[in-house]
Amino acid sequence: MPFLSMKKIWKYYQLGETRIAALRGVDLDLEEGEFVAVWGPSGCGKSTLCNLMGMIDTPSSGELQFLGREGVSLTDDEKSELRNHSIGFVFQSFNLIPVLSALENVMLPLQIKGTSSTIARKKAEESLEEMDLGEHIHHRPHKLSGGQQQRVAIARALVNDPMIVIADEPTANLDSENARRIIDLMRTMNGRKNTTFVFSTHDRRLLDRVKRQIHLQDGVIVEDRMLADEAS
Amino acid sequence: MITWMKIAIRNIVKNRRRSLFTILAIAVGYAAVNVFGGFTEYIFKSLQDSFIYAQGNGHLTIFKKGFLAQGKLDPFQFMLSEAETELIRELCRKDPRVMVVTPQLMITGLISNGSVSTIFVGVGRVPSDLTFVRSRATGMIGRLKLYEGRNLVDEVPHGVGLSAGLAKKLDLHQGSEAIAMSPTIHGQINALDMQVFQVFHSPYEELDDKLLMAPLDFAQSLYDTTSADRITVLLTEDRSTLPVKEHFERIFADAGLDVELMTWKDLSIFYVKVKDMFDIIFLFIFVIVFVIVVMSVVNTVSMAIMERTQEIGTLRALGLKRRGIVKLFAIESSVLGLIGSLVGIVFTFVGWGLVKVIEPSWIPPNIPYRVPLEVHLVPGYMAVSFVFLILLSVLSAILPARKAALKGIVDALGHV
Repeated sequence: MPFLSMKKIWKYYQLGETRIAALRGVDLDLEEGEFVAVWGPSGCGKSTLCNLMGMIDTPSSGELQFLGREGVSLTDDEKSELRNHSIGFVFQSFNLIPVLSALENVMLPLQIKGTSSTIARKKAEESLEEMDLGEHIHHRPHKLSGGQQQRVAIARALVNDPMIVIADEPTANLDSENARRIIDLMRTMNGRKNTTFVFSTHDRRLLDRVKRQIHLQDGVIVEDRMLADEAS
Repeated sequence: MITWMKIAIRNIVKNRRRSLFTILAIAVGYAAVNVFGGFTEYIFKSLQDSFIYAQGNGHLTIFKKGFLAQGKLDPFQFMLSEAETELIRELCRKDPRVMVVTPQLMITGLISNGSVSTIFVGVGRVPSDLTFVRSRATGMIGRLKLYEGRNLVDEVPHGVGLSAGLAKKLDLHQGSEAIAMSPTIHGQINALDMQVFQVFHSPYEELDDKLLMAPLDFAQSLYDTTSADRITVLLTEDRSTLPVKEHFERIFADAGLDVELMTWKDLSIFYVKVKDMFDIIFLFIFVIVFVIVVMSVVNTVSMAIMERTQEIGTLRALGLKRRGIVKLFAIESSVLGLIGSLVGIVFTFVGWGLVKVIEPSWIPPNIPYRVPLEVHLVPGYMAVSFVFLILLSVLSAILPARKAALKGIVDALGHV
């Protein structure tokens, strides 16, 4: 039973007087516990697809349902609540708040939700421990390596126990060793928590770790392969 | 809330140079408003005390009805008889808010030193009452030396005071003798000998060559009357002026007295004009400070928003609502406003302390000699400007923060 369903999704961008279609009639269903890579060359629409799945962008046309709710008709506040409660994000540039420590960064989604500081702190500590960052909880982002920063970002994405974590090019700013470790970590968390992970990449070397590959080209899904056996 | 406060304070510290300039702009603005406000308060208080106490006009003045409108043409028609004066004094003294009730009589005539004569404008007062009224003055006015020479006394009705310009004009000094001439209320010419007890500074420069102050008995003898043309009332507290006025209007009407009451503000046109002028200057300074603070805060917040657009996008992606973004920058701005106002309080005390230590003096309008310049600390102004500047800082942040909150999340995340 899919919790996220996209039907005939089109997304246009206006560049001057030219209208560019970033997605062209995409149909996609996501189910609980999936580990999905969206791959394809630059400009194929990977980020646009991730943004739409993460409710931080709106399709130009088509239907998008998240947990049975019609995404297009939600108000901005409702979308914010949905993102906070059910969606985690991991960004290419980590996007940690520079003035907050690793722990405070991970506490953020909980505090936005209104969780008390004591509980938020406890959950954030646990989340960072899971990422093997227990010794770095009080470090500010600039004191952490790229790989450590991305692990903090994953801890932040998972701290609210979301349905789905969306990672847009999470390894683009990492070396190949760290990139592989991050994908492995996400995969571990996917197995441990049954949280759906969707990440975009243009690095084909990372695709052997996933259960499902979605190949995008010119805004169209040209291939949607289940690789459950290969990945495990 | 603590997290947002933490983000706010740490960003202020992170951008310490920019924050410092904003804080200084707010602090200097705060101090400018309060030091100038303190100076105007000193001016207002000095003018008020000068009129009420130094010039002995009290808080309230009682006239026969019609005196102010038509009394200039025929003042004798609008005099308060001895019986009326006594009744008014009796009624007033029953009120515990009243300290002194004393009659006065304005006189005009010619004054001669034996060889030269000139006109004078004078007032007859009960010397002991005047001395008491003046003794109640506090602050700078209480410390002022109002005349050279000796006190006028009830027992010596011919001992008078002359304004410095009039004494100089007639070459009269302390102890000199002169003659005052005037028509009585019956129309006959009357002349009385007098002795100069004191030479005083006129509160109005244009009258410095004309003023005479005499005991009431002298003025009444010159006019050959036992009446007075006004009765002044000194109250225990300035703030009782209006309530006492309203109360007296009722009891005087009940007693069948045909009188009208004026407050010191009604009669002190100079005070009202100076106050109006300073209020406009104060407003002008306030607007300048307002603009500087708004511009500084808007600039700081706009810069912060520009630099932290990606952070705004991240927070929005994590589920922070638009109003949360506005709140975040409003908190940051209110912290700037709070620190700026606190530093402003320090600056205000420094300004106040410097004036205390340096003790500058100046010659204000209508005073012919130097007086100490003071700056009062006005807790009311300080509290209001404290709250106002913090509110202003918050409001200045809201517009740019709202604009940032309305930006698309994807655009914000992609901002470099």
